Amino acid sequence: MTPAFTGRRVLDLSAFAPGRAHALAIAMAAKLAAAFGATVVRPVPPGGDPMAALPPLLPDGSSAVARFLLAGRAEGPADGRFDAAVGGFGAATAADAALRVRVSVFGPGDDPPMTELGLMALSGMLSAMEWGGRAPCRLGGHQPAYAAGLAAFTALAAGLRAGMRDVADVSMFDTACWLNWKATATVALKGADAARAEAARPRDWRTARARDGHVALVYMAKDWAALRDLVGDPRLHEPCFATQASRVENMAALDAILDPWFAAHTRAEITAAAQARRVPVGPVLTPAELLTDRQHAARGFLGPDGAPRLPLRWVSYGAGEARDVA
Amino acid sequence: MSREGGPREGGGPLAGVRVVDLGWLTAGAASSALLLDLGAEVVKVEGPGALDPFRDWAGAGAADGDWWNRSAFYNFTNRGKRSLCLDLKDPRGLAALMRVLEGADVLVENYRRGVLASFGLDPATLRRRFPRLVIASISSQGEDGPERDMVSFGSTLEATGGLAALTGPADGDPAVTGRNVNYPDQVVCLFAAGAIVSALAARDATGEGAHLDLSQRELTSFLLGEELIAAAAGAPSPRAGNGDPAAPGGMPGETPGETPGETVERDGAGWRAVWPGGSAPVRDAVAVAGSEAFAGGTALLRTPDGLPAKGMPFRYGTWPAAIARGPSDLGADNRATLAAAGLPAEEIEALERAGVAATRPRRGPLL
Repeated sequence: MTPAFTGRRVLDLSAFAPGRAHALAIAMAAKLAAAFGATVVRPVPPGGDPMAALPPLLPDGSSAVARFLLAGRAEGPADGRFDAAVGGFGAATAADAALRVRVSVFGPGDDPPMTELGLMALSGMLSAMEWGGRAPCRLGGHQPAYAAGLAAFTALAAGLRAGMRDVADVSMFDTACWLNWKATATVALKGADAARAEAARPRDWRTARARDGHVALVYMAKDWAALRDLVGDPRLHEPCFATQASRVENMAALDAILDPWFAAHTRAEITAAAQARRVPVGPVLTPAELLTDRQHAARGFLGPDGAPRLPLRWVSYGAGEARDVA
Repeated sequence: MSREGGPREGGGPLAGVRVVDLGWLTAGAASSALLLDLGAEVVKVEGPGALDPFRDWAGAGAADGDWWNRSAFYNFTNRGKRSLCLDLKDPRGLAALMRVLEGADVLVENYRRGVLASFGLDPATLRRRFPRLVIASISSQGEDGPERDMVSFGSTLEATGGLAALTGPADGDPAVTGRNVNYPDQVVCLFAAGAIVSALAARDATGEGAHLDLSQRELTSFLLGEELIAAAAGAPSPRAGNGDPAAPGGMPGETPGETPGETVERDGAGWRAVWPGGSAPVRDAVAVAGSEAFAGGTALLRTPDGLPAKGMPFRYGTWPAAIARGPSDLGADNRATLAAAGLPAEEIEALERAGVAATRPRRGPLL
């Protein structure tokens, strides 16, 4: 592959971001720019790099976040003109760059302090994770910030390719709402009552306890017969489980039949049996388990230090090979 | 009906880029929509026997006449695209698509692995025939590997990609986002669009297109990159509920759970997210849609006809977020698209008479 942005200079202002969520989003966008060939410069303030101490920490005391986002990149002064800068609203606006990508909480203007938990709360992503009377739970890791970073990179890449002299704005709130579009689309298209009813429906997609961990129990109406036959309990043929609507209505009774079957089998047994019937059930795997996962290994996805390559293989058939972007 | 273009058409950073969209549901179709939002022209290709499953939805039935044009979620996602309906299992339909691809820059697809090849459209063949074409294949597991054919929805990938293990209460079960979010199907679009734009930039330099093999499971794991690195160093993070993943309480050896300074607390009948120095209400969908920030943002926009439409997560000073056209009815752009690809009128008419180019499906609604 010829790197897309060879010779382009990109300024990463994540060390000067107004908040941590901004910093993570900006650094993700810059990481992608570097992976696609740009020369990325990331100045750090005299007091040190706030990302250097961000947990999770490795046994040597360094930050796994910094290793993930910054490895293989140059640090240096922000001298000269850049093809693009990505940063918080103020720093990016002031940068000497043709294209200025500004990451903010709500878009151009005021940029109040905001956490990723707050972004999930305000965008409805948290309420999408509420069920069973328990407090809704955030998504693991840094999803709101990293997703905004992906959006910022796309805006940056398109502007760089076109040679734009412009500003591009990425709002972390808008990005989170964009990801959670079905919630607000339901309000806009079907009305508030329909949206409330949808939110109140028992969740038929969930994790289920297996003998050695959990699996994701995920299926559509068309998968029901296969799932029913997989579990093999005659009670599942009762009329109260015949349709998607009736299964939702009788969810507690259904779960009482399904749960013991899952609990009696290992994740591998469940997955093999489900996949043989093309039911989209899969094991819940921890990051530690993913280090030896056969699919990731076969595709060379993780380095010896656990660092993932980009989730992309760039295939060149002419040379008969697949090349990965570092 | 193909709705009239607005003043926004014909500009933007991807002006002049032509995309053939074989993307279904969200992962494929919304990736193409983002390219459209950047100024590309997008032709969505379906078949009379192979509709985007989003066209089936509970709000429409066979009694609605053209039910296939009534799906609100389909129209929401596919606004602004032209619609070409060709039977690709018929050699004449396939030949017509090849003519359209001659003028295309990008092909986006997220069929089940093997389906594209069954049409004679395997990426290696396409790359040889159209060396400048950028082919983006978005799949659950990637193009190869022992689990290539593992059937998964987005929430399955949350489990197999590592996200579910880190989501959920510290003292409870891991959690997935479920059918209304299907998080990996959403977030892949943001990455795929950037990767496609990068491949176009590389092509500008070399004249060579590319085949992009995008695995949603890999993306799900990639977005937990620091956790993979920590696990490899022998310091895996526990599931920590609403605890801040980058705060001391979330570290091994310390008390996981709701103590690291970020938490979600009861607030009357609802919930409130609380962190040191601030808090925010946990909004439900109705509260989000009614909020000032949402109304002033870009996540949901309106077509020129006033229909709600999927918005976009970025905007430029010279290219603001806006929707120039509504959705096209199935096959509404058959003639214009095929004529622009150089097919003579009599050939197009022959395709229509044979039902190879169509404006209605061959089946009734599934729901």
